[in-house]
Amino acid sequence: MTTPEERPPFLGSWQRIYFAVALYLAAVIALLAWFTRSWNWSWNR
Amino acid sequence: MRPADWLVLVASLTIIVAYGMYRGRGSDTTSKYLLAGKSMPWYAMALSIMATQASAITFISTTGQSYADGMRFIQMYFGLPIAMIAIAAIAVPRFHNSGVYTAYEYLEKRFDAKTRALVSVIFLLSRGLAVGVSLSAPAVVLTVILGWPSQYTTLLMGALVVAYTVSGGIQAVTWTDVLQMIVMTTGLFAALFSAIYLLPSGVHFSDALSIAGSAGRLNPVVWSFDLSDQYNVWSGLLGGTFLALAYFGCDQSQVQRYLTGRDITQMRLSLLFNAVAKIPMQFFILFTGAMVFVFFVYVKPPVNFNPGLNAKLEQQAAYPQVKARYDAAFDQRRLAAQAADPAAFHAANLEFEAARASAAKLAAQATGQESKDTNYIFLHFVTRYMPAGIVGLIMAAIFAAAMSTASAEVNSLATVSVIDVYQRFLKPGGSDPHYLSASRWLTGFWGIYAVITAYYAQGLGSLVEAVNKLGSLFYGSMLGVFVLAFFVRRVQGTVAFVAVLTGEAVVFAAWTFTTVAFLWLNVLGCAVVVFTGLLLSLRSGLQATPR
Repeated sequence: MTTPEERPPFLGSWQRIYFAVALYLAAVIALLAWFTRSWNWSWNR
Repeated sequence: MRPADWLVLVASLTIIVAYGMYRGRGSDTTSKYLLAGKSMPWYAMALSIMATQASAITFISTTGQSYADGMRFIQMYFGLPIAMIAIAAIAVPRFHNSGVYTAYEYLEKRFDAKTRALVSVIFLLSRGLAVGVSLSAPAVVLTVILGWPSQYTTLLMGALVVAYTVSGGIQAVTWTDVLQMIVMTTGLFAALFSAIYLLPSGVHFSDALSIAGSAGRLNPVVWSFDLSDQYNVWSGLLGGTFLALAYFGCDQSQVQRYLTGRDITQMRLSLLFNAVAKIPMQFFILFTGAMVFVFFVYVKPPVNFNPGLNAKLEQQAAYPQVKARYDAAFDQRRLAAQAADPAAFHAANLEFEAARASAAKLAAQATGQESKDTNYIFLHFVTRYMPAGIVGLIMAAIFAAAMSTASAEVNSLATVSVIDVYQRFLKPGGSDPHYLSASRWLTGFWGIYAVITAYYAQGLGSLVEAVNKLGSLFYGSMLGVFVLAFFVRRVQGTVAFVAVLTGEAVVFAAWTFTTVAFLWLNVLGCAVVVFTGLLLSLRSGLQATPR
C-alpha cells in the first residue's frame, strides 16, 4: 500500500518544485560561467 | 588570540553546548533518542544536514584551495541539487513509510539480513575510519598556527561532543548543528568582509576582482573534460551527482538527519533547502580565498604558510637564492598590480608561483614531508591580520564545524551499532529502556573512540587525507545496492549481496591500478553493482524458468 502524495506548501506539486530547483541549478551554472568569462576575460584578452 | 577573541570563543562554545543539552532533555525513549520522535521541523534538519557536511578541514582548506588553485572546486557541488531532487522524490517516501531507524534496516525489508549486515559493516568501517580525522585534522592545523597542544584541542572538542551527544541524542545534535551553522555562516561572512576591507586604500573591489581574475582565481566554471581531473563541469555534474546521491542517500550520518522529520514534506524541504543553498555557500567560502589571494598580492606572504616547514626551509643552504627569487617576484607582481598592467601582472604572477613551487620542492627534499600548505593559508591570514573578536569568532566557527561533523558521525555510528548489529543480531527482543541505555553507552563508546583515533591520527601526516578519501571508496557500492532496492524488483537477497562485493572489488582494483579521479569511483562502483545485480538476477531468473 502506498501513502498518498503530500501536497507541498508552495507551487502546487512536488514535480513543479523539482523542476524549479533544476531550473535554478541551470541558472546558477550559467551565472557562474558568465562570472568566469567576465573576470578572466577582462585582463587576459 | 587576544582577550576579546577568547571571550567570543568561550562564549560561543558554552552557548552551543548548553543549548544542545537543553534541547536534548526528555530523550527518554529509543525513538526520541535516535530519531527525535520524528518531530523535527524542516529548517532544523536542513541546517543540520549542512553543518554535518561542512567539516572544519573543509572550512579551513577550501579557502586555501581557492587561494592556490582558484574557485573551480565549486563544480564538485553541481551534482548536489540533482541528487537532492532524486533523494527527495524516491528515497524519502520509502524510508519514511517503512518506519526505519537506519537506511540499512530498509535493505533487510527489501533484500535479506546478510545484505543489511554487509552494508552496515561497510558503513561502520568507513565512518569509523573517518570520525577521528574530523577532530584531529583541525587540531593539527591549530597546533601549527597557534601553538595550542593538539591533544588538548582534540580532547576539548571530543569532550564537548560526547557531553551533548550522549545526554541528548539526536535532538541535541540537531539543535547544536543549527547554532553551529549560524556561527559558521557569521564567521564566514566576517572573514569575507574583513578580507575585502583590509585591502590597501586605493584598491577598489573591482580592482580586486580583476587581479584575482587575471591570476586565474575566479574560475568557478571549467568546460574542458579530463577524466583525471575532478574539477570541471562534467565531472561535477556526473561524478558529483553520484557522490551526493551516495552521501545524502546512503550514508547514515546524513540519512539520520532527515529521518527525524515529522512528515515527508518536512524531510523533502530540508533536502531541497540544501539543493538551493549549498552552491552559494561554497561560492562565498571560495571567494573569501580569492580575496585573501589579492590581499597577499600587496602584503608579502611567507614562502611557505606552514610555519614549521618554513623554519626548516630557512636552514637550507639553497634558501638564500630561493628567497631572493621569491622576493623579486613578489615585488614585480605588486608593482604590476599597482600599475594595473594586466600582461605584466600575469607574467609576474607566473614567476611568483614558480618561485613558490621551487621553495616547496626544496622544503619537501629537506624534510621528506609533503610541502603543500593549503590548510594553513586561511588561518595565517585570520590570526595575523583580522581584528580582535573576529579571530575568536572564526576559531569558534572552526570548532563548530569540527564538532557538528563529529557529533553526527558518533550519533550515526551508535545508531547503526544498536539497531543494525546489537538489536538485530546480538540481543533481539529487548525492552525499549534496554535499547535506550545501549544507545547511550554506544554513543559514549564511539565518542571516546573518536578522541582516541584522533589522537593517533595526528601522527599520520598526509595519511590523514588518504584515510579521509578511503571513505569514498565505499560510496559507489552502497549507492548501487540502494538503486537495486528501489528500482529492480526482481533482484533478491543473495544477488544484491554478491553485487555489493563485486562492486567493492572493482572499485578497489580501479583505485589501486588506475589514476581515475575519486569522483568517478562513485560512478564506477554504482554501475558495477547495478550491472552485476541485473546480470545475476537475469541468469537466476532464466534458471528458475521451467522448460
